[in-house]
Parts: sequence; structure tokens; C-alpha cells
Amino acid sequence: MPEGSFVAILRTLSGAGVDFIVVGGVAATLYGSPGQTFDVDMVHSQEPENISRLLGALQNLDAIYRIQPERRLRPSASHPASPEHQNFLTRYGPMDLLGTIGRGLSYSDLLSDSVIMKAAEDLTVRVIDLETLIAIKEELATEKDRAMLPILQRTLEERRKLGYTPQQ
Amino acid sequence: MTPGDSEPLTDYSEDGVDLTLIRWMLSLSPAERLEVLQQHVDEIRNIQKLNAGR
Repeated sequence: MPEGSFVAILRTLSGAGVDFIVVGGVAATLYGSPGQTFDVDMVHSQEPENISRLLGALQNLDAIYRIQPERRLRPSASHPASPEHQNFLTRYGPMDLLGTIGRGLSYSDLLSDSVIMKAAEDLTVRVIDLETLIAIKEELATEKDRAMLPILQRTLEERRKLGYTPQQ
Repeated sequence: MTPGDSEPLTDYSEDGVDLTLIRWMLSLSPAERLEVLQQHVDEIRNIQKLNAGR
């Protein structure tokens, strides 16, 4: 069976040495939340060296902006350096790069609230911790966030009952 | 928690979340959970393709 698109995107970024933290629905899934998502969301380091590595990875992923796919607009260095959200379509499917999440939390802000998890047998990625993911969704409280919150909160409760470590 | 533990198991939380799905997901490794999501997404995309233009 060919490698899934979520893992392929993560593997490409990881292989290029990009510093990023997986957030959103893929992070929730890694923690055992039975939700649904179609894209990979991540907060990336905005250090110049990382932006350079990221641009190389985006090129390998054949990433174009999702807003007008027919124009096949590609990112330049200034775009991933922005705190805004960048929504891409890649050769492996949709991927969103988030300069910040919540109330302006950046990669460096989130580092201490993240853990390393196995996304595949031979691939580890940094993932926002479930408590922080829930706190950000509670704070944002958009309709989509509110819809997801009960599932995330019950997942956290079940994990605690089972005594799971953050990496499990 | 497994059957036989002191706290009774319930299928749904008070706010309507299916706890059996969460427990099943938690029985898998993180990488396996991601595979489950990938399979569901792939299947939904296939169904969308089959129904495109209808």
C-alpha cells in the first residue's frame, strides 16, 4: 500500500530539516481523537534558515496556494515568514502553514508545549500537546473549534484514565 | 479502563461523544491512528470522485 499523504507531507518536511510543530486535526488524531480532517496543519519556525529549508521542501512538494489553484501561485520567501496562515495544495494533498496560532503563539512559544511522537515506524515529528490544543480551541471558540472540543476533551479524559504518556 | 475495573464503562459521554471510538483509537499506536485517518480520507475522496458531476 502506498504511503499515505499525511505521512508523505510530514516526511518531506522532516527530511528537509524543517522545524515545525503539527497542530490541528492530525495532532488530534495522533492523540487518539476520532475526528476527521483533510489537511495537515503545522506551525513552523520563522528563523531565516528554517524558512529557506521550508521553501525547498515546498518546492519538492510542488506546493501551490489553494485559494486559486488554477493560477498555480507558489510561495516566495516573504510568505512563510508571515504570521498569517498559508493554505497550500501539494502533490500529496492539502497542507496549511500557520505562522502563529491562538492568540499569536509562534513555534518558539509552543516548543515547551509539544512532544515528539511517531507518525510512522521510521518517522518522528513534533506535535502540540493535547492540553494546549484544547486550550487554544477553547480560547478561539469558533464554531468549528466548539464542535471539536467535546471529542478532544473526552479523548484527554480517557487518556488520563488509562495513564497514557504524552507520546502514546 | 477495561471491563472488570471498578468504574462502570459507558458508551457515550454526557455530551454525546462516542467513547467506544476513542477507546478503540487509543488501543492503536499514534502511527496506526494516522493510518486510520488516512484510510478514511482516501475512501471519502474515492466516493467523491465516483459521484463527481452527479
